[in-house]
Amino acid sequence: MSAVLLIAIPLLAAFISILFKKYSIYLLFAVTIFNIANVFLATEGIIIIGGFSPPLGISLLVDTYSKIALLLVNALVLVIAALNVKAYPKYGTILLLVVAGLNGLVLTNDLFNFFVFLEISGIAAYLITASNKKPITTFRYLVIGAIGSSLFLLGLIILYSMFGTLNMVDMIKEIALNNNYQELVLPFTLMFIGLGVEAKLLPFNSWVKGILGHSNTFSGPMIASVYASAMGFVLGRFITNLFNFEGMLLTVVLVILVAGIVLSDIMAFASKKSREILLFSSVAQASMIALLFVNGIIIWAVYLIIANALSKTVMFMIINKAQKDVGSDEVKSLQGLFANNLVIGIIFTIATLSVMGLPLLVGFTIKLNFLTELADAGQIWTIAFILIASVVEGIYFVKLLLKLWYPEGNLIKVNYHLSFKLVFAIIALALLTFGVYQAPLDKLDNTVDTVMEVVNNG
Amino acid sequence: MANIEYLLLFLVGSAVISYFLTRLNSFIGSIFTIFATMFVFVSLAAYGFNMNLDTTVSLLPWFSFSQTYLGFFFVIIIAFIYLMVSFFHPYFLDKYPYKNSYNLLFLLSLAGIIGAFYTDHFLQLFFFFEMIIWTTMFLIPQGKSREAAVSYFGFSLTGSVALLIGIFVIYQNVGRFDIQAGLAGISGTTSVFVFVLFMIAALAKLGTFPLHIWLPLAHGNAPHPFSPVLSGALVKLGAFIGILALIKINPIGPVIGAIDLALGQYIIAFIGSLSIVFGTLMAIKEDDAKKLLAYSSMSHGGYILVAFSALNGFAFAGGLYHILAHALASAGAFMAIAAVARATGTTKMKELGGMIHKMPITYLAYLIAIISMAGIPPMGGFISKWLIFQAVIDRGMILIAVAVFFGSVGSFLYVFRPLAALFLGQEFREYKHVKEAPLLMLIPTFIIMGLNIYTGVIPKQIIDFINNIIGENTAFAPVVATTFTVTATYGTLNAGLIALIFGVGVAIAFIIFILMKKSRKVELMDTYTAANFVHDEHLLHYSVDFYAPLERMYEKQSHWMKKFYDALAHKVKEVGKLAKYLFMSNNIGVTLIWILVIIVLLIGVVAL
Repeated sequence: MSAVLLIAIPLLAAFISILFKKYSIYLLFAVTIFNIANVFLATEGIIIIGGFSPPLGISLLVDTYSKIALLLVNALVLVIAALNVKAYPKYGTILLLVVAGLNGLVLTNDLFNFFVFLEISGIAAYLITASNKKPITTFRYLVIGAIGSSLFLLGLIILYSMFGTLNMVDMIKEIALNNNYQELVLPFTLMFIGLGVEAKLLPFNSWVKGILGHSNTFSGPMIASVYASAMGFVLGRFITNLFNFEGMLLTVVLVILVAGIVLSDIMAFASKKSREILLFSSVAQASMIALLFVNGIIIWAVYLIIANALSKTVMFMIINKAQKDVGSDEVKSLQGLFANNLVIGIIFTIATLSVMGLPLLVGFTIKLNFLTELADAGQIWTIAFILIASVVEGIYFVKLLLKLWYPEGNLIKVNYHLSFKLVFAIIALALLTFGVYQAPLDKLDNTVDTVMEVVNNG
Repeated sequence: MANIEYLLLFLVGSAVISYFLTRLNSFIGSIFTIFATMFVFVSLAAYGFNMNLDTTVSLLPWFSFSQTYLGFFFVIIIAFIYLMVSFFHPYFLDKYPYKNSYNLLFLLSLAGIIGAFYTDHFLQLFFFFEMIIWTTMFLIPQGKSREAAVSYFGFSLTGSVALLIGIFVIYQNVGRFDIQAGLAGISGTTSVFVFVLFMIAALAKLGTFPLHIWLPLAHGNAPHPFSPVLSGALVKLGAFIGILALIKINPIGPVIGAIDLALGQYIIAFIGSLSIVFGTLMAIKEDDAKKLLAYSSMSHGGYILVAFSALNGFAFAGGLYHILAHALASAGAFMAIAAVARATGTTKMKELGGMIHKMPITYLAYLIAIISMAGIPPMGGFISKWLIFQAVIDRGMILIAVAVFFGSVGSFLYVFRPLAALFLGQEFREYKHVKEAPLLMLIPTFIIMGLNIYTGVIPKQIIDFINNIIGENTAFAPVVATTFTVTATYGTLNAGLIALIFGVGVAIAFIIFILMKKSRKVELMDTYTAANFVHDEHLLHYSVDFYAPLERMYEKQSHWMKKFYDALAHKVKEVGKLAKYLFMSNNIGVTLIWILVIIVLLIGVVAL
């Protein structure tokens, strides 16, 4: 089956779903399941659309990297939509747009086409966050998102005017021939910032606090897991293949990312609301992922994206459900949440310990592996900063965990549906399994990303 | 033949089984835990002493193990403490909010311990360390305080992080994670850097000054059967890292000519002596028996640091001997207090008294433990302190020697206070129905009593084993010992003879006690004060404000370090708030400014 269907079918289904509003969510289930099957069947390589051979026309690139991203995004959308089928049944059409947009982002090899998908998925994201019922935060997200995508577009226009092509592979070839990095600093900065807004890198991410700080069981995991991982993947693609940061730009980017990790963890440390703690931890993780891509540690960045998406889905859903039932997300008012919800408590603990990177869980394996690669790259100071931030992270997470486990005064009542528990238990089990048995993780390496291969071999 | 890998898997498996058994019935689960711990201890003891453990791996291919005398010394002590403490579980678990997980986490942390001392790979060492930290971190809040767990976790994590940074520095220079090769492969500035990082880890885990804040909190508030593990076993991880840094890395820096010692070691010895002094002073002040013992652990951590800094055979042997002696003594003391706390529900000294009438065996266990702790013959603590004193004097470390002697005298002042307050004196009416601890709890009490005496009377086997460690890790001369004697620079100590004299003294005293007329028991209320009838007996308790004049001398200073860390946490929070204000503003303009700043900055830099 062609990978084009991964974008075309959801887009088509989105239009059809308008006619059958009631069944839109079921249409989404069918489409995502179809997509997941399609990912397994799709052949790897460049897929030419409309018979224009590159660099003309739009082409898609399917490789292991994009397959992992597609699988993760589609599976997560399916799971999150299924778990929210009762609470948020009317988002079928929007989610179909999400799927089309994010699949397109991951697959496309054309930079302008990429921008189109960025806008599609952006609009879908604004609509999803409207479910927070905090219009002002959504409005801010919309404005900042628009600024981000315009910056990206501006950078893209500069590149186009310099090289006369929009095909990514072709562009990389041209840049290699040109070999004057100074001229590229401006467009690359603009594009990096543009993507950074969506990938919630500090300091371009002030929208996150409003959006995730008021999120619900639907918008929370959608933004913190699905969008975060898709943006992580595309940012990684751009950083490793197109940007190839050098010189002063590299220094500035590294400083921004390291400062992002440290400051986000400190901000989480200073927070008293559970959702804020989670969102700042997500911001730190996003910077971490970008940092790994900048250092060329692709595979562990990919695993980090996956582990983080899974853990954060669980954590945001558990906290947001509790917030909904209790009416507050202050850690103080959620004290003792797990005293009556043992299974949920254990799952949340496992997910948290994995994010903290403690042994027996997959987060630890990933952390040690990427730290080792950073050490190989001679980045001892980066390691030191990451680890110091991890102390702060450890303390606020442990504080949160212990507060949630040990009640003070009245027990609060939050009921989690069995389907929540089942899905979360599977995720927790996965985090545990790959934490103990890491052989499968070693099967893939940095060659999952094949753009450079295509550039070199045509 | 016992295999490390199987032992680890056995422990993880038993941990899971113990969870379900404890869920079913906490007594059955605890009994199972005792047998699981016992199996591991016996396997280690049977094969480990002669390095006959099987270290090959087949099921866990990404691990690699090797056995050393040094590692075994630590692992056998800690496994022993775990075994002893597990006998207490059946009587304590029901009180804890998440009792089902208690045995699970307990066994998992033991697995971490065994792995940590048998691995030969730095990253695995870190793996096991972190595993120990998080499993034990969830045990502590089952006691009295959650903040204690956060504090324990924060300091331990700081230590681990310092260790990991050190490991990566080594890796960058040596190119591999092998522990022996790594430690041997660094030199120059790198080794100084790694030394500092490793020492931070050691100080944090050992709970010594200035990273000691967690110690009284964690020891004092942990579940009663877990405090002995913390003090007797887990802090010794810090000593292990300390040995790696002080003995194995031993960076070449400026040497202090007068005492022929490297500056690095001297600084650590000085920190150790500060630890001794502060620990002693704080212990004197403390009213809670468990916190008092925690501060005493801090001071003993100082002795261990001093011993390993002095860099000679006697000091090294003394340090290792002290690790053993203190593990036994503090486990004994904490377990006695746990038994009292189980019967009475409190560990505050002013609320207790006269327990000797109800719990004579527990009293004896505590007495023997504190004799060892204070370094009085005929207990193990005497031999170790004797060796350390020799080394310190031999080196001419006068300042350190003052602290070391101060700590020794000071420990008389504090260890006898719980003895007098808890066990002696008159008993309160509310404890009329208290009984001696049950038989299962008395088993470890007797064993530890016996070992406390054994280590103080027959040093031969222990010194022989320590000589193996000396030969394995250092170029120091071995310590000469016969069955009852130890020989050091300034003479020979005949522990057996001292014990004999001590025994005769005790016998004579006992005979006098038997022959003399029985003393009349007087109740606390049986008195008048200034013609007033006393209505509250608690006010007459002699341990209230016992050292008040002494305490007043340093009352203000005693909170400095705690205030420092509180202020640090507060400052970090303020930075967080500032960052939120700067980056997470509701005003979109602020984000725009940041974007512009970065673009302008970059273009400016590139244009220049």
